[in-house]
Amino acid sequence: MKTNKKRYAMLIDLRKCIGCNTCAVVCKSENNVPLGVWRSWVKRVEKGTYPHAKEYSLPIVCNNCAKPICVTVCPVKASIQRPDGIVYVDPHRCIGCRYCMASCPYGVRYINPLTKIVEKCFWCFHRVDAGLEPACVLACPTGAILFGDCNDPESEIAKALAENAVQVIKAELGTDPRTYYIGLDQEVVDTKESGEE
Amino acid sequence: MNFIRFIKESFQIVIRGSKRYYLWLAFLFILIVWGSTGYIAQLKQGLLVTNMRDPTSWAFYIGNFTFLVGVAAAAIMLVIPAYIYNWKPLKEVVIFGELLAISAVIMCMLFVIVDIGNPLRLWHMIPLIGRLNVPSSLLSWDSVVLSLYFFLNLGVVSYLLYTLFYKREYNKKVLNPLILLSIPLAISIHTVTAFLYNGFAGRPYWNNALLAPKFLASAFCSGPAVLIILFQILKKTTTFEIKQEAIWKIAELMAYAMFINLFFFGAEVFKEIYSNTEHLVHLKYLFIGVGENRDIVFYGWASLIISVIAFLLFLIPKTRKNVITLNLGAILIWFGVYIEKGIALLTPGFTPDTLGQIYIYRPSMAELKISAAIFAIGFLIFTLMTKIAIAIVFEDFSIESLRRKKR
Repeated sequence: MKTNKKRYAMLIDLRKCIGCNTCAVVCKSENNVPLGVWRSWVKRVEKGTYPHAKEYSLPIVCNNCAKPICVTVCPVKASIQRPDGIVYVDPHRCIGCRYCMASCPYGVRYINPLTKIVEKCFWCFHRVDAGLEPACVLACPTGAILFGDCNDPESEIAKALAENAVQVIKAELGTDPRTYYIGLDQEVVDTKESGEE
Repeated sequence: MNFIRFIKESFQIVIRGSKRYYLWLAFLFILIVWGSTGYIAQLKQGLLVTNMRDPTSWAFYIGNFTFLVGVAAAAIMLVIPAYIYNWKPLKEVVIFGELLAISAVIMCMLFVIVDIGNPLRLWHMIPLIGRLNVPSSLLSWDSVVLSLYFFLNLGVVSYLLYTLFYKREYNKKVLNPLILLSIPLAISIHTVTAFLYNGFAGRPYWNNALLAPKFLASAFCSGPAVLIILFQILKKTTTFEIKQEAIWKIAELMAYAMFINLFFFGAEVFKEIYSNTEHLVHLKYLFIGVGENRDIVFYGWASLIISVIAFLLFLIPKTRKNVITLNLGAILIWFGVYIEKGIALLTPGFTPDTLGQIYIYRPSMAELKISAAIFAIGFLIFTLMTKIAIAIVFEDFSIESLRRKKR
């Protein structure tokens, strides 16, 4: 379907991911994310026993859902969904009530310990609006992350989404996530993350 | 002029009292001063002085808020049985119920303010100044209905006391619809508060249609408990005439409410255990602990056991009609619901969090101090307002008594 409206999406090809954490690190430096909190990270899960063992890596960013519960629940309209689908937090409006953090099924929101308001990944929209790619896309050494306008049939991401079997995390929760994966293993998703705290 | 004299005389009433009254006030003042030190620390360092972190973004403050919305709601819901069973002092039940509701809503607001951290951020929540996300955000809705409820109760009780003070007849055509309006509003504030948690698909512990009915049932246990004790004090110290049967009836109704609450709880437990999905983990965390983490198991069982004991005390006619066991039951039922709303509702909902991590939450000293101060402020307001109301209703504090004094 061709339309003039932009709709951004992200596609992470886990077959190419080597678990190097570059995306998480570059995100921190690009977005001034303080110590102790992460805007994106790589979940690591080991399966099997030697010699039949493998370590799986699962990069996590905000899903920038099409039906974002965080935008629905924000009491002061500080969580905003742009027409192109990017969900962001207006730092001047956020009152730090943390209701969005309670509502998010993906745990991608955190309180910035310096500004004491909620922050999250917004696909580096300051770069996207300037015609650049999000920092993690640019930095990924294997080119595992694709980003673009999925409403444009000629874009690389639209082609990749059409030609591959893609999955999303927690599809059953009605949030309609827009960060897609290729080769997502349900067992890796279900394995509980070992806590940092 | 009359108004200034009214204020002056009210002040005189408030500062005079028995030794017990002074002791009670001193106790509240000490709590407020002690708790304020915690709040000063929080203002300086931010919410880091609490034990809330990213995985448990809401905790003790919001738990207290939830509990007190229930108290505010139930204080007015008590008007229904007062009307149906035709307890004589309906007017008095309305006045003291509304005073309790007003104090409880003030405490609710204070808990929201301390939970936000920087109190100046509250500007964004004021309609017209901020951009409220109404009706889609239930937090905005809750603040709107709570404010409405607050001003409605404040209006009704001020008008009632005003007419009594001036020895005028109150206008029933205005007042009765307002009192009737406050009853559905009381039910709705607690329903909205339940919906605050209810709508999250990502938090299975709360995503349960029984949550709002359970909130109402448990509220009807905690709110009237305060009034039962207050009515007995009033009966002894003033000319307040409430039939002893009415107090027993309140206790009986609370027993039924507690039965419904426990029944709902049992239904939830059955569903979780029998279906045995991964959602069971939250209930497990509350009652047996997950792995080595048994930190809130004590609260889970304490709330359940205390509630069952209070239920039995109020169910058995003999213990319901005994002064000691009646008051013991009122205190127990208050604490049973308090622990349930304060700890057992919020913390297991966040533990384990959506990523499966377990962050052990226990209220920090600062949180306990600040919460104690807020309760002290609320009860101080309730005490002072009740003192003036008693003087107007029972002790002939009126415009005429002021005029007589002048001469």
